[in-house]
Amino acid sequence: MARPHRFRTILATALALLIGLAAAQTTIDYWLWLDDTTDPVWPAIVEEFHAAHPDIIVEYEMIPLGQYYDRLLVAASSGSAPDAARFKEWWLGDFVENDLLAPLDGFVAGWPGADDVIANLYNTGRTRADGPVYMLPHQYITFYLYYRADRLAELGVDPPTTTDEFIAISKLLTDPANQRYGFGLRGGGGGQDQWLAYMLAGGCDLVDDAGAVVADSQACIDANQAYIDLFRVHGIAPPSATSDGFAQVIGAFEAGITSFVAHHVGSSLRLTNVHGDALGVMDIPVVDPSKPATMAAMAGNVIFADGAKQAAAWAFLAFLTEHEQMDKMSRSVNGQLPVLASVAALDHYQNNKFFALSLRQADYATAWPPLPGVGYISSQLWQASMQQALLGDITSEQMMRGIAETLRGNY
Amino acid sequence: MIAVHARRRRRTRRVADATRSLGVHIAVGIWLLIALGPYVWMFLTSVKPTLELYVFPVRYLPSAVGFEAYEQLFTTTPFLRFFRNSAVVALSTVAFTTVTATLAAYALSRFRIPGKPIILVVLLVTQLMPAVLLVIPLFISLRSLGLLNTPWGLTLVHSAFALPFTTYLITGFLDAIPKELDEAAKIDGCNDLGAFRWVVLPLLAPSLAAASTYVFIYSWNEFIYALTFMTRESARTLPVGLHGFIGEFLIRWDLLTAGGVIATLPTVLFFLLVQRRLIAGLTAGAVKG
Amino acid sequence: MTLGLNRMKRHLVPLILLAPALITIVVVIGFPIGRAVWLTFHDYNVLRPARTTFAGLDNYLATFRDPVFWTALRNSLVWVGGAVSLQILFGFLGALLLNQRFAGRYLIRGLLLIPWATPSVLVALMWMWMLDGNYGVINDMLRHVGLIDRYIPWVAQPATALPTLIVIDVWQGVPFFAVMILAALQAFPKELEDAAVVDGANVAQQLWFIKIPFILPTLLITTVLRIIWTANYMDLMFIITNGGPGFRTTTLPFLAYTTSYRRLDFGQGATVALIQALLLAVVIVLYIRLLRRRQVV
Repeated sequence: MARPHRFRTILATALALLIGLAAAQTTIDYWLWLDDTTDPVWPAIVEEFHAAHPDIIVEYEMIPLGQYYDRLLVAASSGSAPDAARFKEWWLGDFVENDLLAPLDGFVAGWPGADDVIANLYNTGRTRADGPVYMLPHQYITFYLYYRADRLAELGVDPPTTTDEFIAISKLLTDPANQRYGFGLRGGGGGQDQWLAYMLAGGCDLVDDAGAVVADSQACIDANQAYIDLFRVHGIAPPSATSDGFAQVIGAFEAGITSFVAHHVGSSLRLTNVHGDALGVMDIPVVDPSKPATMAAMAGNVIFADGAKQAAAWAFLAFLTEHEQMDKMSRSVNGQLPVLASVAALDHYQNNKFFALSLRQADYATAWPPLPGVGYISSQLWQASMQQALLGDITSEQMMRGIAETLRGNY
Repeated sequence: MIAVHARRRRRTRRVADATRSLGVHIAVGIWLLIALGPYVWMFLTSVKPTLELYVFPVRYLPSAVGFEAYEQLFTTTPFLRFFRNSAVVALSTVAFTTVTATLAAYALSRFRIPGKPIILVVLLVTQLMPAVLLVIPLFISLRSLGLLNTPWGLTLVHSAFALPFTTYLITGFLDAIPKELDEAAKIDGCNDLGAFRWVVLPLLAPSLAAASTYVFIYSWNEFIYALTFMTRESARTLPVGLHGFIGEFLIRWDLLTAGGVIATLPTVLFFLLVQRRLIAGLTAGAVKG
Repeated sequence: MTLGLNRMKRHLVPLILLAPALITIVVVIGFPIGRAVWLTFHDYNVLRPARTTFAGLDNYLATFRDPVFWTALRNSLVWVGGAVSLQILFGFLGALLLNQRFAGRYLIRGLLLIPWATPSVLVALMWMWMLDGNYGVINDMLRHVGLIDRYIPWVAQPATALPTLIVIDVWQGVPFFAVMILAALQAFPKELEDAAVVDGANVAQQLWFIKIPFILPTLLITTVLRIIWTANYMDLMFIITNGGPGFRTTTLPFLAYTTSYRRLDFGQGATVALIQALLLAVVIVLYIRLLRRRQVV
């Protein structure tokens, strides 16, 4: 009777294993960057997810943004990418072109929370207007202009609405002998977002409605020239502008050296602490006041195509993009604009002048086109070209030609 | 007459000595100022209230001194863990590199090796490429060996890159110690090891101190390999951890400067220890002449 | 029997002593260097390595045709030449100084080490903070003293960007030279110095004819390696200027980095790095020749 006995044991073990596997936990790897890594809001959100989904464990890794892209590259080339990661639209073009990201349409279709996401924000995750969504929107920013309301009041002027008014007022506020300059132009690394906001407000589109690259059109060359002239001709930016990065332009504004600086909600808390009621915020001045324009930048979440745990990864990403978690995130010290309509409608945001303006701007804000080459432009090419143009090494046309060619894929 | 001249000569020599001493002290003072001035400023930055950092004109002294940055550094960030990780890697690298380099240096100095020029060239050629280009293949290798996120993988890589200079340095010092000393010791009854330990090693002490300091500092400060091979936050070393205080929109100057001040202390301690103890320890019982 | 054993010992012992060092170096570094050379002949797709294609000499041709490459080469020469020569000068003077007797000698030697002992991230940020063109303390002090009347944007101006980085590197590297040369000076046998004094040599003569030749091997190898390391050191550019303004602080390794990690062209990036490596190899060749002449090899 030995053989049937052994058979039963084997069957029992196999069944036990199967049941065990079904109840087993899946562990997913998630990468993100956060400006202030000491903020307790994020770990709390992850714990809540664990409580709500006991079968999934999220192991997250916080990587500073300055190291993030390099780490992604090393991971991609060695086949060791995480299951999911926070992502920027700058990198979509190259990653999608190399089939590294999983399309999310299937997941989104079956997600009850899909409609709460502000509809056109999904487009920041597409590389083609009719293509699939590769990046689930999470937190975004739009660019506006901070200004010193007290100084404008002293001068007896209203905040500028057109570029000419902006230049005129900035000149009044410029006094190099006393280390005063009108506008904190950011020519150093990372300044491409501020630049794009000015370009869009100046009437330049990098791509037209059909998706063709028109960054080297006359309109764009002129808009770029106007930006360069702020430094070279009108002299309303400090001489350090060619290499100023985020810390420098915000620091100079904090110190009262500049009176206008372009940035977004991410810095509103800090600047309010410093300037209080003297801090004003307005749209980027435009050439044509009937056509407001600015740029938006999206930080979203992606799932890597080669991963085996995509369903679990999606569960986590969806959790992050739901009302309560979104609200907590946006209110935290790392917070930016919520992508959910229900959160954006809350009083907390509507009554905050910085959030309120930004959310309104979402209607007409444009992001960098999701083309390969944007990664290169945002990490290196823009800065090198802008600095050369500000220093007079190259012309505006040469700069825009270089950017256009890169967007077309020739780099 | 002679006594007067002698006294005058002694006085002139004393004046000369005093001037020389004054000159030395002034020069050292200036050097200290230039070398440490930035750290004083960094310390002031770390205790100033954040609202007093970005002001024009510059504010030198803080209105209120606050050590919250240091408290936050230890309680809200994994700073101590970064510190420990760096220490483990650095000390392991020093131990491994100094020993292997000394062995290699002894071979290069005391024996006639046919391939010596080639070996010397190989040592140097490894230093020619920038780390950024070598990092991905190294990552792939370490990953397949399971050495990521452990101190040993990083120690191995650090040692490989620190060995050439260390070997050269110690070889040079060994060459300057005449072989006759070895022979003399052997005639006196020592074997090879004894000759090395009691005669050569004490004379080698200054170079070992310098070499181990170099290795420690190299490993302690190394960034790119540490960044790439220690991917998990729990395994990160100090430079990588400090870099993390630079965010996209915030620079935590308070944490950075506090952490920076503390990060430099171990190296100074190491050097001081090594200067005094190592030399004293090795020269104890040395046979001179 | 004893003779054969001795001969075997003579050949085997040095090999055994050399083995750990050589094996570590060759095993760890050999493959990556070979890989880097291989990269120069390919169009490497870092995101999907399987899609890499053979490129022949295209990377080399593209590199030589790129005006930024020649700018970077020029910058590298200025960078290495300026930084290393100043470090040797001040490091040597510093070593002589530290070799003197003064109060707190041991402690001060340790303290002066700190710039070299600091992670480059911190060094870069510290100096960036102090040199800021709008609220930096150095500008403020210079203005108070009357040396300047307008703040200078040190790293934003073409004329001062690279020199500023050189000064920071020298500040960081002087302790290294000082420590190495000091070690050599300390190993200098007192008997030789005494003999020279007895022979009537003054301080300068002692220095030139006896001390310097003695420390020359240490000085040489420290210099050669410092040249190679400085050539490859791009941390300051990475954090402070990002190669700007307008390529003024782009050196060869920085160009290799941005070409690889930002333009995603690892093949051409490796080519730039390899060309620099070959140029540096010339330095090594000269050094080995110098060693040969002094009959050390």
